[in-house]
Amino acid sequence: MKLSLSGKTIGNMTACLAVTLMALGVVFVFSASAKIDVEYDLAKFYSYPEFRQAVFFLISILILFGLSLINYRILAFKSGNWKGWIPNPAVWLVFVSIILLVMVLIPGIGVEINYARRWLRIPLGPASINFQPSELAKWSLVLFIPAVSALLGEKIKRFKNFAILCVVIGLIAGLIVIEDFGTAFFVAFVSFVILFIAGAKWWHFLTPLPILAILFTLAIITSPERRERIKTFINPDSSTAQTSGYQVKQSLIAISTGRILGKGLGGGISKYGHLPEDTTDFIFAIIAEELGFVGVCFVILLFIFFLVLGVIIIGRCKDDFGKLLAFGIVLAITSQAVMNLGVVTRLLPTKGIALPFISAGGTHLFLTAAAVGILVSIAGRAEDA
Amino acid sequence: MRNKFALAILFLVTAGLAAVGVRCFYLQYFEAGYYDGISVKAQKSNFLERPRRGAILDRRGRILAASYKVDTLFAEPRAITDIKKTAQELSTVIGIGPIEISKLILTGRNQGYIPIITDAKLTDEQRKQILKIDGIGIESGWKRYYPLGSAAAHAIGFVGTDQEGLAGLELKYNKEISGSCGRSIFFSDAARRPVRLGRFESFAEDGSDIITTIDATIQEFTHSALLKQFKAFQAESAVALVMDPCNGEILSMVSLPDFDPINLKDADAKSLGNHILSDPYEPGSIFKPMVAAWALETGSINPNDSIFCENGHYSGKGFGTIGEYREGGYGTLTISEILSHSSNIGMAKIGQRMGAAKLYEGVKLFGFGRKTGIDLLGEEPGLVRDLKKWNGYSVARVPFGHEVSVTSMQMACAYCTIANGGRVIKPHLVKAVVYNGGKKVEITEPAQTSSFVISNKTAQWLVSKAMVEVVKNGTGKSAALENWQVWGKTGTANIVNPNGTYDEENYVASFIGGAPVDNPAVVVTVSIRKPNKHLGKGYAGGAVAAPVAAEILDKTLTYLKVEKLKKEE
Repeated sequence: MKLSLSGKTIGNMTACLAVTLMALGVVFVFSASAKIDVEYDLAKFYSYPEFRQAVFFLISILILFGLSLINYRILAFKSGNWKGWIPNPAVWLVFVSIILLVMVLIPGIGVEINYARRWLRIPLGPASINFQPSELAKWSLVLFIPAVSALLGEKIKRFKNFAILCVVIGLIAGLIVIEDFGTAFFVAFVSFVILFIAGAKWWHFLTPLPILAILFTLAIITSPERRERIKTFINPDSSTAQTSGYQVKQSLIAISTGRILGKGLGGGISKYGHLPEDTTDFIFAIIAEELGFVGVCFVILLFIFFLVLGVIIIGRCKDDFGKLLAFGIVLAITSQAVMNLGVVTRLLPTKGIALPFISAGGTHLFLTAAAVGILVSIAGRAEDA
Repeated sequence: MRNKFALAILFLVTAGLAAVGVRCFYLQYFEAGYYDGISVKAQKSNFLERPRRGAILDRRGRILAASYKVDTLFAEPRAITDIKKTAQELSTVIGIGPIEISKLILTGRNQGYIPIITDAKLTDEQRKQILKIDGIGIESGWKRYYPLGSAAAHAIGFVGTDQEGLAGLELKYNKEISGSCGRSIFFSDAARRPVRLGRFESFAEDGSDIITTIDATIQEFTHSALLKQFKAFQAESAVALVMDPCNGEILSMVSLPDFDPINLKDADAKSLGNHILSDPYEPGSIFKPMVAAWALETGSINPNDSIFCENGHYSGKGFGTIGEYREGGYGTLTISEILSHSSNIGMAKIGQRMGAAKLYEGVKLFGFGRKTGIDLLGEEPGLVRDLKKWNGYSVARVPFGHEVSVTSMQMACAYCTIANGGRVIKPHLVKAVVYNGGKKVEITEPAQTSSFVISNKTAQWLVSKAMVEVVKNGTGKSAALENWQVWGKTGTANIVNPNGTYDEENYVASFIGGAPVDNPAVVVTVSIRKPNKHLGKGYAGGAVAAPVAAEILDKTLTYLKVEKLKKEE
C-alpha cells in the first residue's frame, strides 16, 4: 500500500511541525525564565524575554504562512541574464548581510552581550529587538548558493565559478568569525555542503579548505576563550565557575537529574541561576531536566520527523533549484539542532549556537520561520512545474 | 545535483540526533546518581528550624529563663558575585555604611556565613528587600532572657551561643528544655535562596517548660541580703540557701560572686562555680547540732545532763589539746548551753561518750560524705573519712565540725531533717516538667522517704530548746526577729590550708536556722567565706552570717504570711 499525500499536505504537516516546535520553545523559554520573587509589571510587557518570545512566536507564524504563499521560484535567477539578479531578494540579502556584519563590528552600533559584539539594536518603541546579522547572513547564503548553482547548472564544475562562490562564502564567514566562531564555522559548513550537493567537483574543495583550516585555527589560537573551551571539552574537570566548563557541567547536571520522567514541567532547579544561558543556547538542558528522557525523545523525534518531511519535499521537488533550496533549509535547521544538542550534552565543544525553533531570540525565530515558510512553498508547488 | 549524497548527509544528521538521544539516555539513566551527588552542594540547602527552648518558671509560674526570637542578618560571601553592589544594596535597607559591610564580608573567615547584624529587629518590608539581595540571608534564632539576671544565675545556669545548656538547670534539664530542630531540605537558587521544598524531615518541636521550686521573690531577698553582707565584709565567697524543710524544696539558692548569665564574656571564671555544691569545707560549729542530736538519740547523753567544760582547756593523751573560742572557756554547761555557747570542749566530751563507731554512724546517717542527689550537676560529696582511719583526735574533733568536709547543701539538708522532726529529705529544684505546652505534665519531685534519722522528740528538743537558746541567749542573737522565734546555730570555722594546718586569719562564718519553732516554714543557710577580719566588724558566724539569715527570714516569712508571734503585752 502506498501512502499518497499531496504536496500541500506535506507542506501543511511541515508548517504544523514547525509551529509545534516553536510553541514548545515558548513554553520552555517561559519556564526557564522563572525567577524567585519576580513580580511581573505588565506595563513593561516587552522587557520580559518570556513574553517577547510569545509575541515572536505569533509573528513567526504569520511570517511562516505568509512566505509559504509566495512562489519560491522568485528567489531563482532568470537564466543567462545578469541584469535579472538585481531584483532578486537573495542577492539583496547577501549585500545587506555583508553591510550589517560590518556595522556590527563598529563599537557604538554593535551591541555587546556577554563580551561578544554580535547584535544590532533595532528600536521598535517599547519592544526594541536585538538583531543578529550573522543569522541573516547564514540564511542569505542558504538562498544565494542554490540560486547561483541552479543558474550555473553544469557550469558549476568550472573552477572559476566555484572560486567566485568561495569568495562570497569566505567574506561572510570571515566577517562572522571575528565575533562568533561557532556561527562562522556553521555557515561555512552548510554553504560548502550545499555547493557539493549542487555538483561542484570534490577536488575543488581542496583549494579553499587549507585556507579555511588556517583561518579557523588562527581564530582558535588567538582567542583565550576558545582555547579554554577546547581545553574544558577535553578535560572537563578543570573548570571553574567563570569558564565554559562550568556551564556544560551545569547542563549535564540539569539533563541527568531529570532522569527518565523529569522533574515535571516548571519543576527544574537549574534555571534558578545555576545554568547560564538557560533560555537560549542551553534550553534543551531545561527540557531534559523538566520532562526527562521522555521529553528528550519527543524533541529529537520532532526534529527527525522534520528531517523525514524535508527528504520527502526534496524528493518530490522537480527543479534543481527547489531541491537544493529545500536541502539547504533542512540541512541548516537540523544540523544546527544537532550541533546545539551536541554542545549541551558535551558531545561537542562549547560554541554559542541556538536550538532552532526553541531557543529564545527574535532574529533566529523569525528567520527560521521564514525558511520553513519557503520550504512549505516548495512542498506545495511540487505538483506544478 | 548529487541526490544520493544529499540523502547520505541528511541521514548523518539523523544519526547525530539519534546519538544525542542515546547520550541523554546514558546521562539520565546511568549517570543520574553521580550528577545528583554533584548538584547537592549547589542546588540543595538544609533548612534548620530551631525550636523554642522551654522556659524555666518559678514555683508561682514567673519566668526565670525564657527564649525570644531574634534575626541574624548574614552574608554568604561565596554566593556573592559583586561585593560592592551587594553592600550598596544592603546599605540602603539597613542603614549601615556600604564600606563597613564590605569590610565585614571581606575580612570574615567563614566564607559560608558572616553575621552582619546579630540582633536585628527587621520589619516585613526590610525582610522582603533583604532577601532579594544576592548572598544575603536572614536566619531566625533564639536568645535567652533571664529576668532575675545574676540573682539566680547559679541555680538556673546559662546557655551557650548554640542555645544548649552549659550550667545549672539549663544543663541538667537540657534534654527536656531544648526541644528538637525541624529539618527539611530545600532546593535553592544560585544565590542560595530557597526555590521549593525538597524533602521534609521534621517539624521543630519546642522544648518543654520546667517549673522549679524556686520562688523568684525569695530568691531576690536572699540575693540582696547576702550581696550586701558579702560586699560589706569583702568576703571571698558567700552562699545562701532557703529550703522548705518538709519536702526539700529549694526556695532560693545564691552563690557569690555571681555572674550575668547573658554576658558570660565578662564573667570571672571564679564566679561560675556554685559554692553551695562544689565547695566542701570544714563546717565548724554548725555541725554540732547533728552530733548532739545523734548523741541524744542513741542515749549517750540526756537532755538534762551537764558537762564540765574544763574552763577552756581540755587536753589528754590521744586527742591533743582543745580550746574554746571564748577566752577562759566555760565551766559546767547543760547540753543546751553547750550548743548555745558553742562549746568545743563540751562537744568533744559528747563525742568521746559516744565513741567513734556511733559518731561515725550518726554523721553518715545525716547524709555527710555523699552527694545529696540534688538535680544539679557538679555536686561534691564532701569527705567523711573511713571509720578505720579515725583515732582519738577524730572522736574529739568531728563533734565540733573538724576533720570532716561538707557542702552547704549537705548542711542545709541535715538542718531540714532536724527541723521537720527527723525525716530525711531529698533536696530538689524542679517540681514538674510541662510537655507540649501543658498537654502532659510530669511531676518530677522526688518521693520523700519516711525514714527517720532521729526521733521527733529529739528533733523538737533540739529546735525548741537548744537552738532557740542559741538565738535567745547564745552566739546567734543577731538572728533574732521581733515577729517570729528564730532558731539556729552559728559557726565560725577554721579554713584548712592546703598543707593541712589551719589558717588562723580566715574563717567561714555561718548561720543555719529557721523559723518558726513549731512546724518551721523555712530553713535558711548562710555561709560567708573569708570575711575581712581587719575591717573590725567581726568575723564570727554570729556577727557576719546571722544578720543575713535574719533579714532573709524576716522578709521570707512576711512574704509567705507565716503566722506571727502573739505580742506579749
